[in-house]
Amino acid sequence: MGSSNKKKKEKKKDFNKAKLKVGKAKAKAANFTDTSFKSKSIVVNQHTLAALDGVDLVGLFKQHLNQAINSKSDKLRQEALVQLTKDLSSKPIFNPVGVPNLLTKLLPLITDSVANVRTNFLKLLRALPPSDVAPHVEKILMYIRGGMTHLSTEIRSDTLSVLDWLIDVCPDETVSCPGGWLKTMNSFSSMLGWNPSVASTLSVKGWTSATKTSLNKVSKKNGEAQAKQITTLAKFLEAGFRPETPLPYDEQRYWDSIYRMPTTPNPFAYLNLWGAQRDEDGEMYPDRISRQQVFERKWRAAIKTGVMGAKQEGGVIGRAASVLDKVLRTAEEGGKKVVEEQKIEEVEEAEA
Amino acid sequence: MPKRKVAALEKVDADLVSLQYKIRRDPKSYAQEFYDQWLAYDAQRQIFISSPSSASSEDNKKFHDLVDLVAHVADLYPDVTAPYFDHLKELLTQHHAVLNPDLREKVVGSLSLLRRKDVIDSTSLLTTLFPILISTPSKSLRSLLYTKIVSDLRESNSKATNHKLNRTIQTVLHNLVTSDRTSTKGMWACRITRELWRRQIWTDARPCDVMKEACLSDNEKVVVGGVRFFLGGDKEREEMEDDSSDEEIDIKKVKHQGTINKKTKKRQKAMEKAMEKIKKQERKKHAPHPLNFSALHLIHDPQGFAEQLFQKHLQNTKCKFSLDNKLLVLQLVTRLVGLHKLTIISLYPWFTKYLTPKQPSVTSFLASLAQATHNHVPPDAIEPLVVKIANEFVSEASAAEVASAGINSIREVALRQPLCMSETLLQDLVMYQKSKDKGVVMAAKGLQSLYREVYPELLQKKFRGKEATMGLKSGEVKRLKFGEEQVESGIEGIELLEKYKEEQKLKKLAEKGEDADGDAKMKDDDDDEDGFNSDEWEVASNDSDSSTGWINVEHSDDEDEGPAAKKQRRDSSTAPDLISDEAMAAAAEANRISKLAMTTILTPADLAKLAELRREAQLDKMTGTVSKRRQELIAKHIEDGVTADDIELPAQIGKKSTKEERVAMAKDGKPAREEHKSTQAIRKSKKEAEGKSSTNKEKARKKNFLMTVGKARAKHKRSLVDTKKRLTAHIARSKSGGRRRNGM
Repeated sequence: MGSSNKKKKEKKKDFNKAKLKVGKAKAKAANFTDTSFKSKSIVVNQHTLAALDGVDLVGLFKQHLNQAINSKSDKLRQEALVQLTKDLSSKPIFNPVGVPNLLTKLLPLITDSVANVRTNFLKLLRALPPSDVAPHVEKILMYIRGGMTHLSTEIRSDTLSVLDWLIDVCPDETVSCPGGWLKTMNSFSSMLGWNPSVASTLSVKGWTSATKTSLNKVSKKNGEAQAKQITTLAKFLEAGFRPETPLPYDEQRYWDSIYRMPTTPNPFAYLNLWGAQRDEDGEMYPDRISRQQVFERKWRAAIKTGVMGAKQEGGVIGRAASVLDKVLRTAEEGGKKVVEEQKIEEVEEAEA
Repeated sequence: MPKRKVAALEKVDADLVSLQYKIRRDPKSYAQEFYDQWLAYDAQRQIFISSPSSASSEDNKKFHDLVDLVAHVADLYPDVTAPYFDHLKELLTQHHAVLNPDLREKVVGSLSLLRRKDVIDSTSLLTTLFPILISTPSKSLRSLLYTKIVSDLRESNSKATNHKLNRTIQTVLHNLVTSDRTSTKGMWACRITRELWRRQIWTDARPCDVMKEACLSDNEKVVVGGVRFFLGGDKEREEMEDDSSDEEIDIKKVKHQGTINKKTKKRQKAMEKAMEKIKKQERKKHAPHPLNFSALHLIHDPQGFAEQLFQKHLQNTKCKFSLDNKLLVLQLVTRLVGLHKLTIISLYPWFTKYLTPKQPSVTSFLASLAQATHNHVPPDAIEPLVVKIANEFVSEASAAEVASAGINSIREVALRQPLCMSETLLQDLVMYQKSKDKGVVMAAKGLQSLYREVYPELLQKKFRGKEATMGLKSGEVKRLKFGEEQVESGIEGIELLEKYKEEQKLKKLAEKGEDADGDAKMKDDDDDEDGFNSDEWEVASNDSDSSTGWINVEHSDDEDEGPAAKKQRRDSSTAPDLISDEAMAAAAEANRISKLAMTTILTPADLAKLAELRREAQLDKMTGTVSKRRQELIAKHIEDGVTADDIELPAQIGKKSTKEERVAMAKDGKPAREEHKSTQAIRKSKKEAEGKSSTNKEKARKKNFLMTVGKARAKHKRSLVDTKKRLTAHIARSKSGGRRRNGM
């Protein structure tokens, strides 16, 4: 009988008058909505409500651009990047915002936490026309340097791929822009653990020292990563030490360079008229000789010892190291030649 | 080979917080990792600097994290991070306006972290932060910088006063106030100085000088900041001191908890901390009170300052300060005049305009006038003002509050300069004690009793009262003259102390006499010994000699002869006192009194007693019962300022309070009652909140019914023998201590 009693009571309850008690809060109504909560963020399921039929292409491009950076979902970012790449690689190139804007917005993606996004970003970069990239090399290099010493090894190696691309696209600008030579060398050496400055700052004295610690333990994966690092370094050095081929004399160009408006942005960058004062690391090294001199002075010894060690390890690393060694050697010979030529010139001048 | 399972570890490694933790644990091994991050920081910084205003949120966040990491471990790698401080400084000074708020906060926090880790010194930190504090338009940044600056100053003054730093900062603040007198930037100098004054970190004359300059600024806000400091800074300081000593730890409770709770390291540490704090408080309690002068006393050249202040902000007709602020300035000027007894003659005619009942907040003006009066102000300067007050405020036609305020303010003025009044005016005012309103009556009576004391000649004969009339007759009350100073010769009230001592001695002797009569001779010796000792402690050393003058008992005799000698001494000292003539010659009296100060050294106890006696004597002078208000008035130092409340007070007398006031008064001091609850329930919840346990009775009452019902039923069914057994066992148990043991 209990259940029927209960049901009866429940039926009755609706028609009973609510008793108010002193000191007790009034009972909440059945349709009461609690609005006292607070929320820091609101989750939105859909990102766009408007159905886009491809009418506003510019708007669509911009939307993709925004999604690529701001979207929380990695899938969405990735897809947006794919779309952008498609637009950029179409013929004629569809890029309503221009390369500078595109780069400033997208460059932070170099250190994105999701691997797919990074690879898609690299694809996007490859789709950019090389001539448009050249003025922004300095900026791209900043981000690359930030990524090269990132905590995560995956990001480091992906950043190296970006650097590879950059060296392929515009090798001269990469090594000659402000900070491009020495600062990048810094990052490389730190990445490989061949850094003399760290050891000196620590001033570890004694007959033992831990070689490479903790994060990058030697494993198969890491070995490959290191091999890649060494290869990229070799590529970078090769670009830096590549003998400049003097341009054949062209009268038109000669007079243009004197009297015409320059066509490249910031043609007097080496004078550093408006920027902050640069230190040795941040300085530009525009020609091969200066690059070589600085390298001899600061890095030759450290890199050489590093290469020796790497060579002894053998395997992938050893092979990569021997490539690097070759680059170094040719550079040395080239350097000697340069020095000899200089000496001869000086002597000639002195004689004259 | 099994699958490698370090993925999780690598993930953990990839955040900067854990790296920071590792670096701090073992800086040498993680140097390489740190260097990597340092390079990343450098790259990120360059990205940021290349376009500070348009940095993306991603970049900002990354930079934020790296700045944080480097700041936390900067002390471990001083060589690598040498340029770090300059980086931050440059970033903040050049880009503080466009920096992302989070990042900006982090940079400021990192700077102060560097200071705490002693990587940089206070001066460089403060010289970095201070210019930004003044120039930044962001309110949140300002408040952040302000707290950082103050906390750093506190920190660097915590162990010992850092004079060098204080001087540097004070000079900076002084320059800030004086360099541009029209800008509001001086507000920051005011705020910082006031805060440090409140915390007793700056207590010397230099901060007062800064505030003085702030008072003379052209900007209204800065002036008000400075003036408020002088008017309220010291009170604030005292309150702060009281507050800090308030939070006391209940040592009993802490000890009790230590015995009950489980013993863990954490608890033990907490206990040790509490004990340490208590010890510190004890030490603080017994430490000598720091001798801090009030800001008003530390002002250099008060006369010049008061004059300048008056001319610049009050007399100057071009000065457009609001009335409230003008009143504040006036309060400061008059306070200075009263405290330092300055002479600014032009101040008094200036008041004339404002002394009408229709003037807004006129009571403040009246209070200021009273404050500005002292005995060196020429009566000619004040008399017209008093007359004006009397004419404007005090008449049969005016409202009771107005009249009482007028009379009371006249009384306050007269208290400080009694010569400001003519005879006819005083007579007229005193007659108001026949008024119907209680407030007016009280004010008039107050005026009358004041004049009875200070200048009875001015009163009509029938109002003078007994004391004053007698005093006039005997020539004790002298005629007042302007500029006359009462000069004390010797110690004021020493004769009172003398009299008191004699009385005490007599009392003691009488007691002793009774003892000697009643008790056996053996006991008498002990008593004597005790009595002698206590005599020596309570009053000055050789009392008997000074009081009688001609009996001289040497101490060596004392010791040799023992009780007999003491007996003799007692007799000799008692005899002349008992016989002594009540009306002794005045000359002899004076002679004797002067001897007390010369022959004995007054102990601190003596001096305290002297002060007490003096106060009592002053009270006794007044006829009849002394009202509470009167006592307060005497206790109040004449140097204390007068407020508008003092002037308005008599008007409040005889007024009925409203219901709200009565309810508030009844509620005062009773437990808060947010909801409808019984007193019992409130007490119980309070007990619970304090962490006290319940009694056994309460526990029994609360116990679940089903848990007890079985036993109750069983009890019911017991046989008689069983019941008896239980009862006897209960008695036996209670006899042996009330506890169950095995087999009981």
